[in-house]
Amino acid sequence: MVKLIGAVLILFAGTMIGFHQASRFAARPRQIRQLIQALQRLETEIGYGYTPLPEAVTNSAAHLPEPIAGLLQSVSRLLAEGESEGLTFRECWERALTKHWPGTAMKNSEQAALIRLGSALGISDRDDQVKHLRLAVQQLKAEEDAARDDQARYEKMCKSLGVLVAALVVILIV
Amino acid sequence: MLVRVVHLLPSELASILERMPAGVKDTVEEIRIREGRPLEIGYEGGFYFIGQDGGLLARPEEAYKPTGDTCRRLLERVTNHSLYAMEEELRRGYITVAGGHRIGIAGRTVLEGGSVRGIRDVAAFNLRIAREVKGASAKVLPKLLDFGRRSVLPALIVGPPQQGKTTIARDLARAVSSGAWGHPAAAGWIGRKVGIVDERSEIAACVRGVPTFDVGPRTDVLDACPKAEGMMMMLRSMSPDVLVVDEIGRPEDADAILDACHAGIAVIATAHAKDADDARGRPVLRRLLEAGAFAVCVELQRGSAGMTSRIVAARPAGRAPTAREPTYTGGGGAHG
Repeated sequence: MVKLIGAVLILFAGTMIGFHQASRFAARPRQIRQLIQALQRLETEIGYGYTPLPEAVTNSAAHLPEPIAGLLQSVSRLLAEGESEGLTFRECWERALTKHWPGTAMKNSEQAALIRLGSALGISDRDDQVKHLRLAVQQLKAEEDAARDDQARYEKMCKSLGVLVAALVVILIV
Repeated sequence: MLVRVVHLLPSELASILERMPAGVKDTVEEIRIREGRPLEIGYEGGFYFIGQDGGLLARPEEAYKPTGDTCRRLLERVTNHSLYAMEEELRRGYITVAGGHRIGIAGRTVLEGGSVRGIRDVAAFNLRIAREVKGASAKVLPKLLDFGRRSVLPALIVGPPQQGKTTIARDLARAVSSGAWGHPAAAGWIGRKVGIVDERSEIAACVRGVPTFDVGPRTDVLDACPKAEGMMMMLRSMSPDVLVVDEIGRPEDADAILDACHAGIAVIATAHAKDADDARGRPVLRRLLEAGAFAVCVELQRGSAGMTSRIVAARPAGRAPTAREPTYTGGGGAHG
């Protein structure tokens, strides 16, 4: 009886781990897409609206789901709080990225593109800002394609692998 | 007044300036920050370098030298992390921040078609701390009243630089707009609609279109607008009773002022000139004075006893004033 319960638990856990991994593969392209939307909104705010950066970042976070919204809101919060410390935009941006990145399904290459963008935002003229934003969007789009390939390749595999490994463990124990 | 601008400064710079003697902190007028060169302040007409400990130094050798990083932080702060939104300001060479403080900037200019498009690699700042002197015009305004029209006379304020012309013009706008006429006979008069064309953002110190100085409740401001064009826009769109402009001197300014005068608007303008006679030596001002555009000249002089003003009649004898009395009374709705 105890053996049976144990086997069921192992199977269940294995399946869950497999599904969790699979959902990360599915979430990554989605989150990259949302990030691209945010950056495109930012480009409009900067390029046409002349909106000051703290406000532009807040606006671009609107209507986006977590965790992208949380990331951007954290940037604008740091900008407001950092007034007294004299933080630069880049510092706020990097702090927010470091804090929120583990909560996303995205990888280091996306983070690197964003950090590069952060070191350029707000400190040059409009044309330059738009160019930097477009460059970052392009990089993210390339990452998105790669992420979709990964998703197609590994999502189903993760799900079945979880179940199968769990089954193997159960068989070995029994 | 260091406290008014300390929030703009990077922490390193702020802590050094905070260590200055209290008397200096209260009277500091200018802070000059140059990358890699000594920090300098100006107060009460004198200039001093600032040491690492906040002491005043006459010689630059031991002074504190702001680093490139400090300057970049300062630039980010005064531009609200948005240099791209400051294109017009960079073209003009200064940024106005909340509170009316002006930060002049210098660095490498970017050219486009031979004219300056902006400044990049900003390496020097001149932070001028604004002082709003409410009531600066209290002595002048009672002498400028137009009893027939229950308004203010068109006036030309003249004086050398740094004598407070703009301060007087701003306070006149506030007083006329809020109806603080300061004369017993004018006790029942209400305020007048005032239009300010603020080409250099000095009168009202607008931040995103909203004045940061008190310019009165009935005042409209066209910020950073060329004067001549701005005056015509004001005439067309905001129906002011009084127009306030700063630093007139170009021929097109005179055309616009004459137009406004013929529309029955009292123009209060400032101009660089030693006194009224000196003003007549400048072609544009001479033309305006001879046409009777201004009823009076206000001559300003800042001496040891504070600001003094002298009011002289500006209209040549025998000329009818261009601004006439209203042909009917009790009309005009709110002006009853």
